[in-house]
This record gives sequence, C-alpha cells and structure tokens, in this order.
Amino acid sequence: MTRASARRPQHRLLALVVGLALSVGPAFAEDDVDILLYKGADREQKLVDGARPEGQVVLYSAMIVNQALRPLAERFSRKYPFIKLSYWRADSEDIVQKISAEVRANNVVADVIEGTGVGELATQANLVQPYFAPALSAYPERYRDPAGLWAPTRLSYYSIAYNTRRVPADSVPKTYNDLLDPRWKGMIAWRIGTASGTPLFITNLRLAWGEEKAARYFEKLKDQKIVNFGAGSARTLVDRVVAGEYAIALNIFAHHPLISKAKGAPVNSQLMDPVPSTTATMSVVKGARHPHAAMLLADFILSAEGQEILLGAQYFPADPRVAPSPVLSPVVPGIAGVPENFVAPDTLLKFSESSEQIFQKLFR
Amino acid sequence: MESNLPHLDAEAAGAGRAMREWRPWRASPAVVLLAAILLVLIVPPTLFLINASIHTTKVDGSFDQLTLRYYGGLFTNPHFAGSLLNTLVYAFGSSIIALALGVVQALIVERTNTPGRGYVFLGAVISLGIPHVLYVVAWLLLLGRSGPVNAAIDVVLGAGRDGPALDVHSMWGMILIEGFGFAPLAFLLMSAVLRSADASMEEAAIMSGAGLLKTFRAITLRLSAPGLAAVLLLFFIRAVESFEVPALVGLAGNVTVLTTSIFQSERSVSPPSQGEAAAYSVCLLLIVALLLWWYGRLARHAHRYQTITGKGYRARLVDLGRARYFTALLLLLIFALAIVLPVAMLAFTSLQPFYEGPSADSLARLTLDNYRTVLEPGSFRDAVANTLVLGAATATLVVPLTAICAWLAARRWRGAWLLDQLATAPLVFPALVMSVAFLNVFVNLPLPLYGTLLSIVIASVVRHLPYGMRYAYAGVLQIHAELEEAAVAAGAGPSRVFVRVVLPLIAAALVSCWLFVFLLTVQSVALPLLLAGPGTELVAVTLFDLWQNGQVTELAAMGVLWLAFATAAGACFHVITRRYRVLLEGQ
Repeated sequence: MTRASARRPQHRLLALVVGLALSVGPAFAEDDVDILLYKGADREQKLVDGARPEGQVVLYSAMIVNQALRPLAERFSRKYPFIKLSYWRADSEDIVQKISAEVRANNVVADVIEGTGVGELATQANLVQPYFAPALSAYPERYRDPAGLWAPTRLSYYSIAYNTRRVPADSVPKTYNDLLDPRWKGMIAWRIGTASGTPLFITNLRLAWGEEKAARYFEKLKDQKIVNFGAGSARTLVDRVVAGEYAIALNIFAHHPLISKAKGAPVNSQLMDPVPSTTATMSVVKGARHPHAAMLLADFILSAEGQEILLGAQYFPADPRVAPSPVLSPVVPGIAGVPENFVAPDTLLKFSESSEQIFQKLFR
Repeated sequence: MESNLPHLDAEAAGAGRAMREWRPWRASPAVVLLAAILLVLIVPPTLFLINASIHTTKVDGSFDQLTLRYYGGLFTNPHFAGSLLNTLVYAFGSSIIALALGVVQALIVERTNTPGRGYVFLGAVISLGIPHVLYVVAWLLLLGRSGPVNAAIDVVLGAGRDGPALDVHSMWGMILIEGFGFAPLAFLLMSAVLRSADASMEEAAIMSGAGLLKTFRAITLRLSAPGLAAVLLLFFIRAVESFEVPALVGLAGNVTVLTTSIFQSERSVSPPSQGEAAAYSVCLLLIVALLLWWYGRLARHAHRYQTITGKGYRARLVDLGRARYFTALLLLLIFALAIVLPVAMLAFTSLQPFYEGPSADSLARLTLDNYRTVLEPGSFRDAVANTLVLGAATATLVVPLTAICAWLAARRWRGAWLLDQLATAPLVFPALVMSVAFLNVFVNLPLPLYGTLLSIVIASVVRHLPYGMRYAYAGVLQIHAELEEAAVAAGAGPSRVFVRVVLPLIAAALVSCWLFVFLLTVQSVALPLLLAGPGTELVAVTLFDLWQNGQVTELAAMGVLWLAFATAAGACFHVITRRYRVLLEGQ
C-alpha cells in the first residue's frame, strides 16, 4: 500500500484490515505526491478540482481555538464551501506523538500539522512530505526550509519579564550580564521541561557567544539560584511575576507582559541582545488522505488573509507583509532595533539535548 | 442488573451449590468471565507500559532496542535517594491529613445529631468537581508570597524580611495541599464505611458507661479497621503516583519526589522518552501488587469486622446535647478551610484583570472580562454533549462492574483476588503514559475505534476502575455473609443473592460512587488528551487550551464555572439520593 507498510511487513495485514474497515476517503495514489510539488499555472484549478471529491481536510494545530483555529476554519469554509475543515488542538509534543502513531499504524487521520517544533521532530521521524506553496516566495529566506518539508506560520520572540514594583526603572537588567548582579539572587525564575524554556535560553547564548564564553556565563548564572518553574505555561510564569512571586522571569514570550501591562499590571518586558526567536511550522503528513484540500489549506494559512487572522490571536505573522499589531510591535526586534538570533527548528532540536544537559548539570 | 449477567443466571445452579457448601475455592465461571473482561481492558495498556520500560524509543515513537537502562537509571539517578525519602514523607503525611479530616467528618455526620451534617456530603461531592490542578492553583494563590496569608503575617510581624514569611513551596506546603485536596474523598469513602456499619456495639459501649470519644476510638474505628486500611492504602498509592502537587508546589522550592524527578530526567532528551516513567510505573505496579496481597492477608479475618448482620443495621445517632454546636462548628471550620477559602480565592482572582494579591486597589479593578473570554460564543459547542455522554457512560460501566468484582473478592471466591489486583492496577499508571498506551492500542486496532468517543469511554473505565473498586469493597466488607447464606438456604442463586441482598445494602455507596466517577471523568484532561480528535472535543480538554494559553485570572474564572456545574450536578444527586434513601428505609 505505501512505503511504510512495506518496511514493516508485520503491519501489512493490519494496514489492510484497517484500510478496509475505515475505507473512507479516496485511496492514496502516486499523483497525489506530485500535486504537493506541482508548480504549473493551473495549480489552483487542479487543487480545487481535486479537493472537491475529497470533501474535507483535517488540521492538527497548537494554535489557540477561539481566536485562531475557529476563525481560520470559518473563513476557509467561506472560501471553499465544498471542503469541511475539522481541527484538533493540542500541544506540539502531543501532535507529534499522535501523528507518529497514526503513520506507523497506517491509519492517518490528519492532513496538515502545525505547531512549534512540530515540523522538525516530524521531519526527523520521517512523518511528513515536501510541498510547494507559492506564497512562501515572499517570506524571508531564513524562515524557510530548503527541503520544503515545513513552512513558517507564526514567529515568537523571547525576552525577560520583570515586575515593575520589585525592579525599579533605573535598575532593570538590560544585558545578559546585568542578570548576574547579586541583588537578583533567588528572585529570578525560568521555565523547565519544555524546549522553548531553559534549553532555548542556553542554546541562544551558545550560538551567539560560542561555547566557551557561554559556559563561563552559565557558571556565574548558577550562583543566582534561579527558581525552576516546573508546571504551567510561559503565560503562567508571567502571571507569577505580575503577582510579585518572582521579580524576573527569563525566556518568556516577549508579548505576554505587554498584554498584561496594557491592562495596568505592574509588569514589562525587556529585550536583550541577542533576542532569540523561533517559528511555528506547518507540514503535510505522509499518507494524507486529502492532499488537494491540504494544499488549499496550507496556501490559505500562508496567504495574507490567513496571516491576518493570526493577528487576532496575538501571534506574530511569519509573512513580512502583514505588520504585527501596534501594541505588540515594541518587542519585535527589527522594530525595536535589537539584534535577533533566529533559532531555526533544526538548530533548536540539534542543540536542545546538550543545552538541557548543561541545565541538568548546573541548575538542577 | 440481571440482564448484564446472563452468565450468572446460566450458572446459577452450579455456583449456587458452591455457595451453599461455602467452598469458594471451587472455580467459578463468574470470576473467570469478569477476569477476562478486566484482562481485555487492562492487558493492552499494561503490555505497552512494560514494553516502553524495556525499549529505547526511536524518534518516530516506535520501540527500538531492548534495554534495562531505565530501571538502572531509576536507582542510579543521583536524586533517587532524596526523592524516595521525600516521596514517602509526602505520601504518608498527605494521606494521614486527608484520612484524619475524613474520619472526623464521617464520624460526626454518620453518628451524631450535629445540625447541618447533611450538607457535608453535598460539599464534599461538589468540591470533587473542581479540577485538581485548579484547586492547587487556588491554594498557591492563598499561601503564595503575594497571597493574603503572607500579607496578613507581614502586617502583624512587620514586613522587610528577605523572603516570604511562609514559603508554601516546601514539603509542608505539598502535604497540606494534597491532604486537604483529598479530604472530601476520604470523607465520602469513610462515610460509606460507617454508614453500613452496625452501631449496636457502640450503643452497648455507651450504655456500659464508656464516653463518646472512647467508644469511637475503641469500637467504631476498630470495627472500621479494614475499611480504614483500604482507604489509607488507596491514598498512599495515589500520593506516590501524584504529579500536580509535586510539580506545582514542590518543584519551585526544589523539593523533588520520584514523579517530578522522573519528569525532569525524561525531559532531558528530545523527543521526551516515556522509558523512565514507564519503568517507574512498573515498579509501582509490583509494589501495589505486594501491598494488596499483604492487605488481602490482613483482611482474611475480615469476618471479624462484619457488622451488617441479619439484624437491622441503620446506625442510631448519638445525641450530643450542647456539644453538637461544637461539632457543627468543627464541620464548618473544615468546610471553610478545605473548600470555602480556596474557592473564594478563585472567585476573587476570576474577577481581576490581572492578579496582584488582594488589596484596596484590586477591589477597584473588579471585572467580568475573564468570564467573557472563557464563555466566548461557540467555545463549548460540541464539547458539552460529548462530555456528559463520556461521564455518564464511564460511571454506568464502572459501578456495576466493580460492585460485582468487589463482592466476589470480598467473599473470596476462587481466583477473585485476581479481580481485585486487576481492577486496582490502573491506579499506578500515570495518566499521560496511559494516554499514550491507549492511543497506540486504538490506532492499531483492526476495528474503527480510533478517534471515537467510545474509545475514550473504554480508557476512562480502565482509569477509574480502582476508585469504583475501593468504594464498593468498603461497602461489601461490612455485610455479614449470614445474610447471603440465608438467601442461599432459601434457594437463591448467586446472581439473585447479589441483586436482592447485596445490592440494596451497598446501594448508597454505589450511588455516590457513580457521581464520584462521573465528576472525575468529566474533569480529567491528561487521559483523553491524545484520544480525543476532531469531532470528539471534550469540555475539560477545551479548557486545557486555556490552561496552556490563558492567564491565571481566566483559569480562575474557569474554575468557578466548573464549580457551578459540579454544584448543579451534586444538588440534583443530593435530591435523588435523598428520595432513594427514603425508599430504602421504607422497605
């Protein structure tokens, strides 16, 4: 049936049975792979014609439902009323877990997956296939995958958050070295147990400064007795800073403090040179049952229309033509004039294990 | 009930003979069938768990090489000894607190004429409706650095210290929060034990001049010893396996227990490996099997404790005289500490645009914005119906299944100890590991179960078997076999004995068990997380979206709404069970 089942003969029978039992959606043929990479002038027409009999498309995404996924689904179905878009929201790690189980069992439900770190993990696990999206040509080169296995959807910038009551305006740490000031000892927290927490903080400085300088810095940072914030999201950690529980939080999403600040909360963000940034990615699953509809969906999310919907959920669109919202633009490094260090998905994955080990050795 | 058990009817004659001779070692088809059902439910995820513990994982999540390094890693982990000690202290401390609070409340409610005692049941059931994570967050808001407790201490003792006066991120904080969190469950379980116990010996003791406290200590608690031990065991295991409190409370204060220690180790590789968590679960499984075996030996003499006999069993209430106001105050105090205080904190936080501790300023900032965010139109469009079906189906399957298993196990039918072991095993599977296990089972199944609500129901049934089992077991243990023997002598088969004699006697326990399983199921997030998909959205999982992306104030709003829902469900139930009890006593 597919390459996966040939590689795992013990699954062939099972796959057949599952295939028969489900037997929904059209069978997956060779030209379906070609349609993902098709570049001809009649691409749009071909996709629409092919999507009609498919009738639906399934998206697994880490985006928030109310402000992002639901409006996306509504606008998409207005544009293509003959395609039913259904989505499942989960964290990126869970999406990869679910997808890998589906692909291994040859029981693929999802067509398109989206999340932070999803693309690279899925690429390594050989769960996705390359595709061509014309909209990407307007995106900066550094945000794109040369192999075409993933496309960027939304960007994240990381900074420190500080409580404005506990950190007076004249002593706000402005550089990474300022964080070593003994006055902050025991008052700083960071997020553990997720790739965008401690590993990203450490990876960013290793990339920017080189191993030796970074290692010397971490040795000193160790003396600050940083609190390991173990459960709860980055947003929760910022809330603890608002509450005055911690004076400073490292490596949180730079726009979260701004949102609270707008409501009058005693919190702010401070970008530091270099500002680490990452992108969430979107990929097409191997063996997707609705390849034409999947391509229409990918095109839609990458289009200006799709990217503008993300603004409503307070994401930073990856499309440079869609400007970030004015409230949040102070933390966009390009606008604030602070150097940005884009940590590509493959780099983040490659470094995160060794960065996590540095954390385990010094900070646990 | 009988229609669920055709096998019992078919075999009534044979098994009936076995009962009449009272030789439970004779093989029973009922036990075999139930064991088969439980095995089908439990073996697949267990096999996955064992496999995960002895294989390295490839990047795509499939198993790679055989290894024992996860087991080795458990013991060579430099944090192992410290974490183990912490785990024991934490598990023991929190189960003692929960049990003490539960026993005190259960005694007052079931044995005295304290005014307002009926509402304790309601309060306990409702408080089970708050998702555990939110309950913990509420306590952290209360006891945290910027919370009202520390603020009050600062006012009294003067501020200016370096850290907070009370540091909740510590061992005592963990024990206290977990202990209070499980006090309502302890109360419900202990009241099931006491309710079905005969009070005639207590009356005899009081008439012989023993004081009330002495009677409770020397008679009531001793007679309840098997039930008490079972509940203690349950809580101890639960605490050893628990993750929320150790992670939210302990980690930030660098107090690690085994679960959080594993969490930290398994996150050090990418993608996260299940190996260590699985190895830990397998070890726990063995320990639990051992504990249950030991408990089984203890309970071998359980007939000494059987207090429901052929005589009337309704406990008579002790008239406390004036002291009843004191006990009422005690109930009120426990209620205030365990429920009102954290809930009030949640309610306050939910009305704030951002949380900065209670102050004069914050009162001027009250807003309903968080409720608007949580209740955004369409948020729970399909999720509500799915959730109610899931909860009701799970509870309806768990309750009868465990009631029969518990009866057979308590009556020591041949092989029935296995039923107890099997139904208790899922207790030690971390919900997240279980979710991965069921995902892999369902997605590979040649039946179109994957992604359906039914698959989530099956997984939930397995997850909640242990709770149903403990509830029913506590009820059955106290029914003297003579009632059943009398029925058998009158010619009734085992299914008839069960339906006509046993069931009415444990009905009260089973009804609250149903509600309990229902509430646990509808609030569980970790288990259905990977099993749900497009079309099977659940309220709890939808709310988890908020938990991941939302602010603490929005979380609080969600907690208050949950509580409103649980209150409604609990109140309906209270009315129903009240009527039911009237019926029961009228018989």
